[in-house]
Amino acid sequence: MSRKAGRRLFWAVSLFLCLAGFFLSVLTGPVRTTPGDLINFVKAPDRVLSAIFIDLRLSRAVLAFLVGAALALSGAILQGYFRNPMADPFVVGVSSGAALGAVIATAVGFEAAAFGFSGPGLLAFLSGLGIVSLVYALSLRRGGFKVETILLTGIAAGALASSLTSFFLFMRSDSYDQAVFWLLGSFQLAEWGQAATIAPWVVLCLLASVWLARDMDLLALGDESAQALGSPVRRVRKAFLAMSALLAALSVAVSGIIGFVGLVVPHWVRILIGPGHRALFLSSALAGGTFLLYCDLLARTLLPAELPIGVITAAVGAPFFLYLLHKKR
Amino acid sequence: MYPRYVSPFLAALSLLLMSASAVPQVIKDDLGRPFPLPARVPERIVSMAPNITEILFALGLGGRVVGVTRFCDWPPEAAAIPKIGGLIDPNIEVIRSLDPDLVIAFRGNPLRLVERARKLGLPVFVLDIGEDLDELFPLIERIGRVTLTEARAADLTAGLRSRVDAVDAGLRGMVSRPKVFALLYGQGLWTCGGESYLDNLIARAGGVNVAASLPKKWALYKRERIIKDDPDAVFILARTAADFTSGRDRLARTPGMVGVTAVRTGRIFELDENAASRFGPRLVDVLVRMATLLHPEKLGGRT
Repeated sequence: MSRKAGRRLFWAVSLFLCLAGFFLSVLTGPVRTTPGDLINFVKAPDRVLSAIFIDLRLSRAVLAFLVGAALALSGAILQGYFRNPMADPFVVGVSSGAALGAVIATAVGFEAAAFGFSGPGLLAFLSGLGIVSLVYALSLRRGGFKVETILLTGIAAGALASSLTSFFLFMRSDSYDQAVFWLLGSFQLAEWGQAATIAPWVVLCLLASVWLARDMDLLALGDESAQALGSPVRRVRKAFLAMSALLAALSVAVSGIIGFVGLVVPHWVRILIGPGHRALFLSSALAGGTFLLYCDLLARTLLPAELPIGVITAAVGAPFFLYLLHKKR
Repeated sequence: MYPRYVSPFLAALSLLLMSASAVPQVIKDDLGRPFPLPARVPERIVSMAPNITEILFALGLGGRVVGVTRFCDWPPEAAAIPKIGGLIDPNIEVIRSLDPDLVIAFRGNPLRLVERARKLGLPVFVLDIGEDLDELFPLIERIGRVTLTEARAADLTAGLRSRVDAVDAGLRGMVSRPKVFALLYGQGLWTCGGESYLDNLIARAGGVNVAASLPKKWALYKRERIIKDDPDAVFILARTAADFTSGRDRLARTPGMVGVTAVRTGRIFELDENAASRFGPRLVDVLVRMATLLHPEKLGGRT
C-alpha cells in the first residue's frame, strides 16, 4: 500500500472510531439509555435527559477528547524536539509540578475556582508551568542551549516535586481520596466550562504546530543544519517548548495526570503513517483524543465504581504499543 | 390614633412583607453555602448517608425518598429504594436521573462530587458529621427545616431528649464509672478514640472509654494496653448473634486477656452495630442499653 493510501486509511479509520466513540460515550452510563432515547431526546428535549446526555456525558466525552489530543500533540512535539523517543509531556517536569500544586491545594483546602478550573486545577496549572519555566531558565543559564540539559534538569526538578508531593500526601492522609483523583487522572468532574477553557488553546497550538511542522522536520537534521537551511532554530525551539508545556499543564489542570497517552500515541501514529511532522501532529491529536475517549468509556463502565483513567491508559496502551512495535520489526 | 398618612404606609409595608415571604427563604448548610428553602415539602429526596436516610424516615418522609446509598438498610424499607452508589462513590448521573428536588449530603461525601452535583443545578444541602450526642438534635432539626417538617422534627427531638434526660436523671449519684472498652465491627482490635461520638456515648452512659485519650475517631488498639487498662466492661459491636459470640470468644482466647476484669466477670455485652455506627435516632437506644448494662443498680428494670 502506498504511503498516501495508508494515510487515507488511517484517517478514515480514526475519524470513524472517533465518531463512534462520541456516540457510545453519550449512550453509555450507569443510567440505562438506548439510541431510541437519544432520538426522542433530540426531537423533544427533556430536563433530566438533557442533564445526563449533554451536561454529564457529552461534556465529559468532549473534555476527554480534548485532553487526549493535547497530550498526544504535546508528546509528538517533545519527541521531535528532543529527538528522543522516550520524551513525553511529563519529562520536562510539568506533571510532577502540576501534581504538587494540586496536592498542596487539596491539603490546604484551596478552593478559589477560576476560568472553569477548580482550585486544585488552577494551582496545578500554575505550578506545572512554573516548573517548566524554572527548568527552562536553569538550562538557559548554562551558556547557550543544550537539549540534554533541559531533559536532565526536567527529570531532577520532577523528582524534587514528586518527593514534595509524597510529603504532603503523608502529612494530610485525609485528603488522599482527593489526591488520587489528581495523581491518576479522571474525568469524573468534567463540565463544559473546562472544555471551553482548554479548547481554544488546544486548537491554537495544533494550528501553530502544523504551521511550524517543516521547521520541526529540519530540526531532525541537527540544529546547525536546520539553521543553515534557513530555519530560525532558537525561536522555533522556544515556541514548541512553550506549546508542549502549555498543552500538558492545561490537561493536568482539568483531569489530573494521565500518563502514557503522550508517550505512546505519537509512536503509534509514526509507525502507521511515517515521520513527517505535519501529518504526525494532526494525526496524533486525532488518535490521542480518540484513544482517551475510549479509555474514559472503559474507566467509567468496567466497575460499578469509577476507575482512575491512568490505570486504563497504560493497561490498554502498552500491549497495543508492543504489538505494533514488534509487527513492524 | 395614627396620623392619617400612616395607614397607607402600613398597608404598603405589610404588602411588602407579604411579597417578601413569597421569595424563598435562604438558609445556610454546614458548608456555609446559601440554600433556598423549598416552597413546599420536597417530594423527591436523595439521601447520601445512612443516618440521613434514617432521620428522613423518622420524620415520616420515607415515601418521598427516591434515592439512597447502598449502605442505607435501616429502616428495612430503605433497602428497597434505588441506590445512588456509596458514601465516597455516589454516582452523579444516577442522582440526576432521579430528578430530585432535594439532595441531602454529608461531609463524608467527597466535596468535589458534591460541588459537581451542585453545578448541575441539583439542590444539595450538606450536613456535618456529629461528634457528640447533643449534636444529634440540631441535625434532626436542620433536616426538619430543609424539608419543611419542623413540627415533626421538634416532636422527634423532644421524645429523644426526654429519654436521654431520663438516663441522665437515673445516673445521678452513681458511685463509680466503669472502665469500658468498645470493640468495633471487623477484624482486629479497632476501637473508638476520644473524638468519636461513641466515646461521648460511653461517657453519657456513665462509663469511661479506656481509649478516650487517643486523639482520633477510630483507632487500632494494642492488646497490651487493654490488659493494662483492665476494663470493667466490654461492648462488642456486632451485626448478628454469631458475630457477637465469635468476637467474645476471640477476645477471651487472646493470651493475657483472661485476667481482665470484664472477661473474668463476664461483663461482655453486645451492641447493635447497625444502630451504633450511624449518627441517627437509634443512638438513643444504644445509650439506654449501655447505661442500663453499666449501671443496672441505677437503671435496672427501667429500660
